[in-house]
Amino acid sequence: MNNLTKPSVGAVPKPPLKSRFLSTMRRDWMLYLMFLPGLVYILVFKYAPMYGVTIAFKDFKIGMDVMNAPWVGWKHFIDLFGRTAFLRALQNNIIISFAKLVFGFPFPIILSLMINEVRSSKMKKLVQTSVILPNFVSWVVVYGLFYAILSPNAGALKEVLALFGYEGALPNLLASQSAARTMIVISHVWKGAGMGTIVYLAAITGIDQGLYEAATIDGAGRLKQMWHITLPCIRTTIIVLLIFRVGEMMYAGFDQIFVFSNDAIISKIDIIDTYVYKLGLQERKYGISTAAGLFQSFTGLILVIITNWIAKRVDPESGLI
Amino acid sequence: MASKRYRKLGAATGGERVGQIINGIFLGLMVVITIYPFWHVVMYSLSDSHASMSGGIFLWPREFSLLSYQQLLSTKQLYICYRNSLLKTLIGTGVSLLLTALTAYPLSLPRFKGRGFFSLMIFFTMLFNGGMIPTYLLIRDLHMLDTFWVYVLPAAMSAYNMFILRNFFQSIPPSLEESALLDGANPFQVLFHLVLPLSGPALAALAMFYGVALWNGYMDNVLYVNDSNLQLLQNFLRQLIAAAGAKSGTVSEMADVSAASRLTEETVKMTVITVSVIPVLIVYPFLQKYYTKGVMVGSVKG
Repeated sequence: MNNLTKPSVGAVPKPPLKSRFLSTMRRDWMLYLMFLPGLVYILVFKYAPMYGVTIAFKDFKIGMDVMNAPWVGWKHFIDLFGRTAFLRALQNNIIISFAKLVFGFPFPIILSLMINEVRSSKMKKLVQTSVILPNFVSWVVVYGLFYAILSPNAGALKEVLALFGYEGALPNLLASQSAARTMIVISHVWKGAGMGTIVYLAAITGIDQGLYEAATIDGAGRLKQMWHITLPCIRTTIIVLLIFRVGEMMYAGFDQIFVFSNDAIISKIDIIDTYVYKLGLQERKYGISTAAGLFQSFTGLILVIITNWIAKRVDPESGLI
Repeated sequence: MASKRYRKLGAATGGERVGQIINGIFLGLMVVITIYPFWHVVMYSLSDSHASMSGGIFLWPREFSLLSYQQLLSTKQLYICYRNSLLKTLIGTGVSLLLTALTAYPLSLPRFKGRGFFSLMIFFTMLFNGGMIPTYLLIRDLHMLDTFWVYVLPAAMSAYNMFILRNFFQSIPPSLEESALLDGANPFQVLFHLVLPLSGPALAALAMFYGVALWNGYMDNVLYVNDSNLQLLQNFLRQLIAAAGAKSGTVSEMADVSAASRLTEETVKMTVITVSVIPVLIVYPFLQKYYTKGVMVGSVKG
């Protein structure tokens, strides 16, 4: 592995590989020693589970060694796609991810543009400091806060609606099938808006102020400047974050949905992760649940590669890989 | 300074002034929507259980009462969970920073043979992973189920954070390191005495990234740990507030608390939420500052 050096051009005849390797090691052995813990970590906790996905093609039972388990081909996958519960989880997963993308992705961009328009630096700071707060608390706390606001009996929403003249009964929004996905998307946007905003504001700070001055002299208003200067200048940041987001489409938010789930709404918000959890860790069906997980991560990988390819076509300077 | 310039140029037309006002109202609303839920929970927890029962908007506590805090602080499980979460966060952040620095430093040096291969190997883990079940089986085979270390080791290094730190190390002038090497220092001495002291802001940002994730994460508890002596605060809170949660030991213990003291379930929940958010609020000014810096460092493409 350490022999992957490029051959040097026009140099003295190369010494044999073995002695080159030895001289590198003699010089830099301490660097390799330093790198060892990280390498072991990556191999054990990242690559060993990747080998473990072979369970998806094997008849693996508790107490067995993965290596010795008999191969069964695509059996688990065929079984998986015949299950309505999995198809439902897949469908929910796509709907929720897509809604999160459509509503959650543009929001921080709009918010950062709006914050950038604020002229009072105190107000600017107040808004920035506020919107980032939910990013630092756990999904459990977010659920608790939503509960505190939305609870039909003790929540604040009741009185807020009353201020606007609504006096009717309030449904329990956290246990309502029709509101379930909306709640997932709203809490996602609420929690994530601040982090995205920081990233975009950092990019906006880097824009050459001279461009705005020139545009002002040319008579361009604030909206025109936003459209023709700010947005094009943060394009690369937008594309990189978009690739990340699309790559995560298969992961619809395990931490979040796990805590938001209850029996009343599970049919609307069960996603692949929660399905794998139930099937694998509660029912101990390792083969088929690993197949579901592999389908998820493989599709995720394909999505990243495709988005990255498209991004590079549109703008050769952007892209992740 | 920008505002002065615009006023001088007389660029703020009537239409733009209206735009400014609408913008201000919208952003003000955003601040309220973000902050109010936290305020509501804290004020509710400080209210008398019966006065708060009807709900509504809480600007101040209704009939100020610390009863729920008194009751809660006598719950043994809360201390256990608090201790576990603090230990997880402190030890985890330390281990993660050390491992990340040890990995990132060699990868930042052009003379480190194989750095391209190793970088690619680590980058690939950002794109593809083994998934929940193989990871669970691995952790079981390593005999790490129901141990404290399962909170620290499996997620000890984030590839993303590692690349941020590597990029930062690469921005340090190599001449500094070369002169130290000429003086006979070994790579460990260079890293710990020269490179890391120069990387304060980047390390602080990473410590915040890791610390927040460690404090807020609870799935490791759900997936790998059954022992209630190792329970994490977030999971304790989850069991308490999740509507359809089964009657576990924690929940019934808390139900006893509320029954014994005439506290409503709501007040108990609000109090636990407040107690679990307090550490975050204490370090919040640092969090905000270094998160922003970390994002800046991370946005430098390398």
